[in-house]
Amino acid sequence: MKRSAGFAGFVALAAAAILASSACGRAKPALSVYTWSDYVKPELVRRFERERGCRVVLDTFESNEAMYAKLRAGATGYDLLTPSSYMVSLMHAQGLLRTLDHAQLPNLVHVDPDYLDLAIDKAMDHSVPYMITNTGIAYLAGRVRDVVPSWRMFGRADLRGRMTMFNDMRETIGAALKALGHSINSTSQAELAEAETLLLEWKRNLAKFDNEQYKIGLASGEFLLVHAWSGDVFQVRRENPDVRFFVPEEGTVISCDDLVIPADARRVALAHAFIDFLLDPAVAAENTAFVYYLCPNKDSYPLLPAEIRDNPGIFLAPELRARSEMIADIGAANALYVKVWDRLKASR
Amino acid sequence: MRRSRVPIVVTVLVLAFLYLPIVILVVNSFNPARYSGRWEGFSLTWYARLLESPEIWQAVKNTLVIAVSVTAVSVVLGTIAAYALHRWGASRLQRVHYTLIYQPLVVPEILMGISLLMAFVAAGVPLGLFTVFLAHVTFCVSYVAMTVLGRLQDFDFSVIEAARDLGAGPWQSARKVLVPLLRPGIVAGALLAFTLSVDDFVITFFVAGPGSTTLPLRIYSMIKHGAPPMINALSTLLLAVTLTAVLLSRRLTTRRADPPIR
Repeated sequence: MKRSAGFAGFVALAAAAILASSACGRAKPALSVYTWSDYVKPELVRRFERERGCRVVLDTFESNEAMYAKLRAGATGYDLLTPSSYMVSLMHAQGLLRTLDHAQLPNLVHVDPDYLDLAIDKAMDHSVPYMITNTGIAYLAGRVRDVVPSWRMFGRADLRGRMTMFNDMRETIGAALKALGHSINSTSQAELAEAETLLLEWKRNLAKFDNEQYKIGLASGEFLLVHAWSGDVFQVRRENPDVRFFVPEEGTVISCDDLVIPADARRVALAHAFIDFLLDPAVAAENTAFVYYLCPNKDSYPLLPAEIRDNPGIFLAPELRARSEMIADIGAANALYVKVWDRLKASR
Repeated sequence: MRRSRVPIVVTVLVLAFLYLPIVILVVNSFNPARYSGRWEGFSLTWYARLLESPEIWQAVKNTLVIAVSVTAVSVVLGTIAAYALHRWGASRLQRVHYTLIYQPLVVPEILMGISLLMAFVAAGVPLGLFTVFLAHVTFCVSYVAMTVLGRLQDFDFSVIEAARDLGAGPWQSARKVLVPLLRPGIVAGALLAFTLSVDDFVITFFVAGPGSTTLPLRIYSMIKHGAPPMINALSTLLLAVTLTAVLLSRRLTTRRADPPIR
């Protein structure tokens, strides 16, 4: 008898634990944020909780596509998301996002207008830029000679087998388009054909197409020159001081993750308050120094540590930024890119 | 005649495949390097970072709460299901039951994840720990039922009849005869359910809601930003805890088993 009583008690306890953990803290309003891992400095989240007398529940996703698939299937309960810009346009087109109430966002005045020029949602109607990163080239200074700040570095036969480019259709084709002086969002068949020829030439020199492992390969010296995102490179550099980064002079891709409120959010006012909190210049500066991506917040720039403020890989020179673009949703023309990409991946 | 070297070679290879990755993980948890994989000296950096990462501990807590409750519930349901399947397996209703129980073992996880999510949305169940619990029970029951069913295949029901002849009630005979004899199958099923629940990613990803991120979800999301080596440190700690628990339980059970032998 004793044992079965113990077992029943155990089941009851487990059930109680589930109920308790889903019901606790009901007294305080909870803001559910669905974001990338380690994308907000934890101390800042705690400060917001104290100021607002609320709880912030952080859940994490690992790709835009996975997050989108889940919301599309009907998952609800999230109040704030941080997808990349191209995903924001798609979600907006499908009516998944709420229009922002600018009256609740006085800190919008701090957003850097130079970046808004590049952004897709220039009026910040349904999204606010949160973090940006520049695409560029990272290399080991001790092992690569005669570096020219150009995409043409991928054509260097002496580095054959020791270079990587992104396994990302738009980024990689975009790099070739830029090297040829075209737009990253080109829909011209002739320009794309030119880019394909150039990429086929570069491919002979590449070890592989890769978005993640290149950091490890660069740090350990397996790869000498890689297509890279600035935020990642500056983290790798803390371990291998030989790592250098440049943004090619032809211009590059600037990517941005945005803050958006889903259409079915419940804590709308609190979500606005959190966006406004993140736009505060002092908060934005702390966040930038923590994540190594840049919050495009012009009044936070003077507050940044010199190491970041004077970094040309994070703060592009004005003429270089003028030549750079964000990846836009090009609609039906996307099929042209898919064809080029498929042929490139299949070639030997 | 010389003894063949093959068995020892195979044994060493198998052991290396099983344990070398774990050894590397433990060693790397003391390596402060994040990217290079080069040994940069002994350090407890990752353990310190781990201690100040409340969201990881929250994920650990979620994972354990779900795994323990899922194991408890699916062991009870799975054992009862296996008994019914075995006792009345020939009836048409039980054949349908068998197919239903078998489904989660063959349906691809992603399909199950999406369909469960759609079912929860249609039924208006808010996503959270409770939906993850329900989803995990859905597939864990099948694994428990299958292992217990295997044990029942060579179960001699005359033992139960003997117990009834000797005056045991149905409840008494189930508790004192059936369950103890089925225990190895039940324990194996419980371990399986616990493990499956702890490391499930695909289904959990779809049915998890705000505040119910489990450890596998957290680890995947750390690949892009975050610091994966913290997971090495966490795994090392979990390994130490599990090993201690196994050693302790073995010591306790052997001591308790002593008196009857005397």
